[in-house]
Amino acid sequence: MANEKIKGKATENSNLKGTLASVFLLGFFLIFTWVSVYFLFLERL
Amino acid sequence: MNETLKVDRRDAKLALAHIYVAFIALALGGLAGLLQTLVRSGKFTLPANISYYTILTTHGVLLGLVLTTFFIIGFQFAAVSRTAGTFSDRVRFWGWIGFWLMTIGTAMTAFFILIGEASVLYTFYAPLQAHPGFYLGLTLVVVGSWISGFAIFAHYARWKKEHPSQVSPLLTFMAVVNMVLWLVCSLGVAATVLIQLLPWSLGLVDRINVLVSRTLFWYFGHPLVYFWLLPAYMIWYAIIPKIIGGKIFSDSLARLSFILFLFFSIPVGFHHQLMEPGVEPFWKYVQVVLTFMVAIPSLMTAFAMFATFEMYGRSKGATGLFGWLRKLPWGDARFFAPFVGMLFFIPAGAGGLVNASHQLNQVVHNTIWVTGHFHLTLATTVVLTFFGAAYWLIPHLSGRVMTKAMNRLAIIQTIVWAIGMAFMSGSMHFAGLLGAPRRSAFSTYGNSPQALEWIPYQIAQAVGGTILFIGIILVLVIVTNLAFFAPKGETEFPVGEVAETAERTPLAMENWKLLISITVALILIAYTIPFIDMIQNAPPGSKGYKLW
Repeated sequence: MANEKIKGKATENSNLKGTLASVFLLGFFLIFTWVSVYFLFLERL
Repeated sequence: MNETLKVDRRDAKLALAHIYVAFIALALGGLAGLLQTLVRSGKFTLPANISYYTILTTHGVLLGLVLTTFFIIGFQFAAVSRTAGTFSDRVRFWGWIGFWLMTIGTAMTAFFILIGEASVLYTFYAPLQAHPGFYLGLTLVVVGSWISGFAIFAHYARWKKEHPSQVSPLLTFMAVVNMVLWLVCSLGVAATVLIQLLPWSLGLVDRINVLVSRTLFWYFGHPLVYFWLLPAYMIWYAIIPKIIGGKIFSDSLARLSFILFLFFSIPVGFHHQLMEPGVEPFWKYVQVVLTFMVAIPSLMTAFAMFATFEMYGRSKGATGLFGWLRKLPWGDARFFAPFVGMLFFIPAGAGGLVNASHQLNQVVHNTIWVTGHFHLTLATTVVLTFFGAAYWLIPHLSGRVMTKAMNRLAIIQTIVWAIGMAFMSGSMHFAGLLGAPRRSAFSTYGNSPQALEWIPYQIAQAVGGTILFIGIILVLVIVTNLAFFAPKGETEFPVGEVAETAERTPLAMENWKLLISITVALILIAYTIPFIDMIQNAPPGSKGYKLW
């Protein structure tokens, strides 16, 4: 009974869609910055 | 030695002594920083023949080495005493010995910088040669910190003995990892100071192997960055969840990220030396790969933070993709200051990946981009987190409480800091991409068109620097109030609890023989062959220069 309660609570709190979206945004920002400076490097070759 | 909710009064005194020195360093080093940005704007010259490089060295040493080391050791003493129980008299005694050695060393170093005998910048690269007293002072700072480290290890060992088969408290474990990291890396700086720089500045030897000294410096210099950052992560992982009213997402994840920092933050120094001759490209490549490995625990930390915030927000009924953000306690400076620090770590991390990539490093190497980068990592992410911690740590230790008015001022301070740094660091990054050098006073380089392009950015840096100096005054007002004038009372030392849904922490995470063996093995792999090469094929070496 107690276990079920904890399980129920866990499911309700384990919605981490916002976290998933946030880490993707973070990843895109890292890639964007890196690629921008890389193109600057190529331009100055 | 019982776990208590309050740091023992005697331990509190030791921690507070460190924190006072840290904030005195902030006041003096911050003033030096303001003067630097004003000089670099080209609109201001220093009075009384004071050298720009003296001010620059003062700023770097006081803020990069003194503020950080003192705050970190003070905070760690408090955190270990709070989570692993009150110190024994012997541990506390050695803590005080460490404190006094570090303080005497700091005073000595500062003295030789201020009399103009050590304008060698905080990296003290050979062949710039300082007065021997400068190197001796630094040695005392490092030896003092080692003694404090061993005091923490002794306390941890006693806890483990009294609690067999138990996982140690998270904050204590993290403090121990950070001090192990510090001990292993500072062996490099101790070696270059004691074997190379000191005999050379005393005139016992004429010449110095510059590449070896720079390699030993960066063997120390990059993990030094993580020695600054890990206490901020301690606050994020173990304390912020409690402040917001949530739970630690995962104890094991937090420990694993610290272990990965121990493994990967040391064998990476060559990414600071990518443009230097005398190191085989292969070994630079190996260390660049290891540098990218060290990004992994930072990304794990970002994930854990987002997850902690989202879990808390959803438990309060937040809906939608980002609805949980609205549930966070934005009016609480203990949360707000570190949170802004976390936000700034996103561009800071992105810049770090650029610095560590060999080709991209050619775009930014030795430009003021790099200065902008570590003003995001250290001077914003780490420092704002430390300020946020000071808002509960100092009143906890001094037996006072933070008033609403001071909390409001702390929120304003954070905003002022964020605006000042956006101006200063932002313009440093852009000027760096245009080729503006770091470590140099104002010059138009014979009115070269390229150098004239940098001037508007340098003025923006002075604007940012001035705003940041206002931020320093505000934080000093708050800290002085919390230490001496705030109303008497009890302030909580917040320590988070682990979420019920988290997995149990495996005991293997505290197998120190294994952890230290892997750390040493990675260092040997990354450094042995290039180091032998540097010594076997050494040039005649350089005599010392005083260019100021």
